[in-house]
Amino acid sequence: MIVLRMLLYLVISLVTLFLVILLGQRGAWYFAWVLGTVMIVLIAAAGGALLDAQEEAKQSGR
Amino acid sequence: MHDLQTVLVLSRWQFAATALYHFLFVPLTLGMTFLLAAMETVYVTTGRQIYKDMARFWGKLFAINFALGVATGLTMEFQFGTNWSQYSRFVGDVFGAPLAIEGLMAFFLESTFVGLMFFGWDRMSRGKHLLITYMVALGSNLSALWILIANSFMQSPHGATFDPATMRLELTSFTDLIFSHDAQAKFVHTSIAGYVTAAMFVAGISGWYMLRNRHMELAKRSFRMAVLFGVFASIGVISLGDALGFIDGNAQPAKLAAMEAMWKTRPPPVGFNVIAFPSQKQQRNLFDIQIPRLLTPLVTRTMDTVIPGVDEVEKQAMVRMKDGIPAVLALKTLSADPTNLAALAQFRAHQQDMGYALLLERYAPDLTAVTPADYQRAARAVIPNVPVIFWSFRVMVLAGFVMLFYLGIATFCSMNNKVQERRWLLKIAPWLIPLPYIACEAGWLVAEMGRQPWTVYGVLPTWMSVSTQSVGYMVFSLAGFVLIYSAFIAVEAYLMFKFVRQGPDEGATAAPAH
Repeated sequence: MIVLRMLLYLVISLVTLFLVILLGQRGAWYFAWVLGTVMIVLIAAAGGALLDAQEEAKQSGR
Repeated sequence: MHDLQTVLVLSRWQFAATALYHFLFVPLTLGMTFLLAAMETVYVTTGRQIYKDMARFWGKLFAINFALGVATGLTMEFQFGTNWSQYSRFVGDVFGAPLAIEGLMAFFLESTFVGLMFFGWDRMSRGKHLLITYMVALGSNLSALWILIANSFMQSPHGATFDPATMRLELTSFTDLIFSHDAQAKFVHTSIAGYVTAAMFVAGISGWYMLRNRHMELAKRSFRMAVLFGVFASIGVISLGDALGFIDGNAQPAKLAAMEAMWKTRPPPVGFNVIAFPSQKQQRNLFDIQIPRLLTPLVTRTMDTVIPGVDEVEKQAMVRMKDGIPAVLALKTLSADPTNLAALAQFRAHQQDMGYALLLERYAPDLTAVTPADYQRAARAVIPNVPVIFWSFRVMVLAGFVMLFYLGIATFCSMNNKVQERRWLLKIAPWLIPLPYIACEAGWLVAEMGRQPWTVYGVLPTWMSVSTQSVGYMVFSLAGFVLIYSAFIAVEAYLMFKFVRQGPDEGATAAPAH
């Protein structure tokens, strides 16, 4: 399982590097869109998870 | 009856009407898919049922919007052939590829995965379904990418050259076409505007639920995720709007002059008109309020670059019309005798200004006998509708900043988990749902009306692009589109209100969050 996960991360890294090389020179805004969208989606997801943690903390009186 | 001027006006109205109707559906699709992906990501990583309920509920609203969006988009592509056949013949070699890829992206990738996304919840693993949701998000945004690349070519033609042998524009570099600065900035600006639309939509409905103490678990989480999603997207939209203004300002000085109601060229740094009442007829502002010295750094990134006003744009257009006349006359010779090398050389020497002479031809059909009055009228026509563009731009910008302000406050309150106590914040939320739509429509008015009198800026005038339809056909089809699309909007509004009032599945969301 760990090997598979490592392979997945490796593939993601290679795709990212490929995008950087492909888009870096001529398509900076496209690359910004890829990075920005991933960031916005992850921040929104983290916000939801954080709300769960806040609710649990409130319920347990912490 | 073939009244060219009437057919031209009606064709423009028809395309504008269908495009504006269509874009009432598009932004929500672009943004909602990624917001659904974010919700489902939390479901897959935490296993909490509430996030699945969220994804399914908002997915239902997305489905209504998606179906009507696809239906309204189809007709626009047909209009290129029916109403703009001269344009299609002229730019087909360049325009066809992105349009075809857009069709394939929209109907093959996006539509295939949409089906799996809606009906595959209980038929595949969580991970696979999440992957499908991301593919829908990617597919919808990539289909927007290709149509925006095509649109950017009209705004700032790159990667093509006019071939006098075939009398049309031909593609010389596909990479120049897709990597033009205008295409890049326009795509990111438009796509992220969709994110903001989805954020305002979800936040508005979630706020409405929280005010009524309904579906609290779902509404709180949806509100939190939407405002976080939206606040970063708003910053992105404003940044890219600034970049797009800079790019378009350089590529289309007439549009910039119209956006800023700048009639006279003045020494830099010039002021920014916050409010103005421009008079196109008198070529001056009847009233204006300015912030001194702001416009020059805003659109040139310097303090000493001259920004051409309407007077300078008209003067330059006149020079280019005079320079372009030999190119158009050479084309007429070449159409009769394609082997005439002298005519070919003459065309090559004046090719860059051919479009301006074609524009002049509308006012002076005989280009060998053009009067100063003809030049004057044609130069005036180079300036688009200043009052509409000036105010549309300000409406868009104001709406953008209002949304950023609201989303900023909402994010702060939500992160402190105190949003339920700020009832005023929740009361405002549903009323702000129309704001991103207004901003998007105003933005397209600036982009498209600002491009006039060209279909391909500086190359092909709009008057030469239109088909030779009859006035009766145009009136009938325009009325038909308006009626049918208005019915679509009414259906969408009815279904949205119905499903929002009905709410998510009570059994699932009333249960504890995990």
